[in-house]
Amino acid sequence: MIKLSGIVKEYHIAGDAIPVLRGIDLSVGRGDFLSIMGPSGSGKSSLLYILGCLDRPVRGTYLLDGVDVCHASDEERSRLRANQIGFVFQTFNLIPSLSLFENVELPFLYADGDDDRPVKERVMAVIEQVGLGDRIKHRPSELSGGEMQRTAIARAAVMNPKLILADEPTGNLDSETGRRILELFHEFHAKGTTIIMVTHDRAVASHADTRITLKDGKIVSFSA
Amino acid sequence: MEKSSHSLRNASQTLKVAFRSLTQHKLRTGLSILGIVCGVMAVMAMIAIGEGARQKVLRQIEQLGIRNIYIRAISLTDEQRRKAGESLSSGLNLKDADRIRFGCRHVRDAACLKVLTTSPLGMAKEISPQIAAVSSTYAELLNIFVDRGRFIADQDVARGNLVCVPGSRVVESLGAEGRLGKHIRIENLMFKIVGILERFGQKREDTSVMAVRNYDEMIFIPLGTIREKRDTDELTEIVVQVRKTREVYKAEESLKRIMAVSHHHMADYQMVVPQELLRQVQKTRRMFNIVLGAIAGISLIVGGIGIMNIMLATVSERTKEIGIRRAVGATRRDIMVQFLAESLMLTFAGGVFGVMLGALTVWLISGLGRWDTAITLPAILLPLLMSALVGICFGLYPAWQAARTDPVIALGHAR
Repeated sequence: MIKLSGIVKEYHIAGDAIPVLRGIDLSVGRGDFLSIMGPSGSGKSSLLYILGCLDRPVRGTYLLDGVDVCHASDEERSRLRANQIGFVFQTFNLIPSLSLFENVELPFLYADGDDDRPVKERVMAVIEQVGLGDRIKHRPSELSGGEMQRTAIARAAVMNPKLILADEPTGNLDSETGRRILELFHEFHAKGTTIIMVTHDRAVASHADTRITLKDGKIVSFSA
Repeated sequence: MEKSSHSLRNASQTLKVAFRSLTQHKLRTGLSILGIVCGVMAVMAMIAIGEGARQKVLRQIEQLGIRNIYIRAISLTDEQRRKAGESLSSGLNLKDADRIRFGCRHVRDAACLKVLTTSPLGMAKEISPQIAAVSSTYAELLNIFVDRGRFIADQDVARGNLVCVPGSRVVESLGAEGRLGKHIRIENLMFKIVGILERFGQKREDTSVMAVRNYDEMIFIPLGTIREKRDTDELTEIVVQVRKTREVYKAEESLKRIMAVSHHHMADYQMVVPQELLRQVQKTRRMFNIVLGAIAGISLIVGGIGIMNIMLATVSERTKEIGIRRAVGATRRDIMVQFLAESLMLTFAGGVFGVMLGALTVWLISGLGRWDTAITLPAILLPLLMSALVGICFGLYPAWQAARTDPVIALGHAR
């Protein structure tokens, strides 16, 4: 499903090019559960943003289902994010002025909507799935960390995407809450969703089927 | 894209989000639209005042008649009168009316009016009706309508019939005596009421050249029935009706020649052309519009700068939200539209408040200042449109800023 070859990313700071990814080659099959590990600054988040079509590499190609997404337009990449990719962040990234329900509903604003079921029904179904059916009117500020992250997962999963990308999803949670979050990822994985998760926690990474480790912008280990 | 039902839903969501973000900071929102509110208020009040003045003048001109030319006698000083006598001018008189009627091909008809200095007896004190001796054509030329009975007829003038046609206020003050067939006593004569005028209802408002008579407080009698002392055939006014509106100026020229000859170039009369007054009004109006435009323009810019300022603050405050929306699939255009909608809503709200306050201002002005005002549809729509335009123009740059925000940085990923 995903095929990366020779991905190079560098940032420009005060005119100097700082390399972050130095030639990443990676294939991820449909339904895989992959974890990306590595110390901070190793480029794992940068890789995730490229995978999520939010950022473009300087060099290299990224084929998503055979489509070169590096050279696609903003419109096309936005459509991919809306319909096929879900994001989960370490800091949850919910919109504070919207209720839980509205946060989960958000992707429908931008997606094509090929499902005939009413939006409300679909949103409620996924909120029930993450166990927050009694909280739909709450604002993010009224939720606990675990509840916020479950809301974020519901938002990532509501369009039934092929790919869910998670950036340190348990990083801000205690281990018990983190464990429940990981269970949710397993649930979606079991339904056939491809999951790529960035983490620096070995125990969290062990939930994945495949693990890669980045160091200084290169893949230094691969284990399945 | 196949997004018809979708874009509708999108629009309502966009507006909802915009509304919520604006109501979240009520004080800030309120302060930021103050400039727009004031601008809209001022523009609306000015339009209403200008429109009121224009309508008043138009009403007067309409009453005077756009096809009419007025020749009015000027009361001369003794000195001037002596000179006039020497140059054999006998003032404005019936012969003038005949000369005009038959001497100018553009003229359709002419009517004569002579205001008498006497007043009727047996009137209530609060009104002092003016008595005017007229020819039978007067009512038709000035669009005066009779409510009951008839107006002064040709035979009345020819035979010197003692009949009269009072206005509605006169009739009211007469009480039971103010009915058809009853009599009004003027000097020593009893005038039979043969007609009562329709209520005219205009306030008494005298401007120098545009004196509009208040028919409600007048009594019309046939010309020549009362002869006052030191009296000749002198008239107060001759109203000349021209055949066609566009011939008014030609007619004016030829009337001037006729009058100059018969009055031996004595300026003991004055010509008033309502159409010319209309032209002047239109000229002043153009001036007024330029001033109005300048005020609108300035308040537009001042208000717009306030909006731009607040929108730029909003955009930088909500950088993270922009990142989140981009991550779940918003295009740059979606972001742009969202923030444009917000600034549009902001200024439109300012416009609505401005119009409300403007209406209040206009009401106060017409109430306290006794000015004529008129809130017409353009007086409401124009300021609203203006405020919406400001929202789009000054919201464009902040919205563009929001749209080009790098989602990766917006999401807090340090580079």
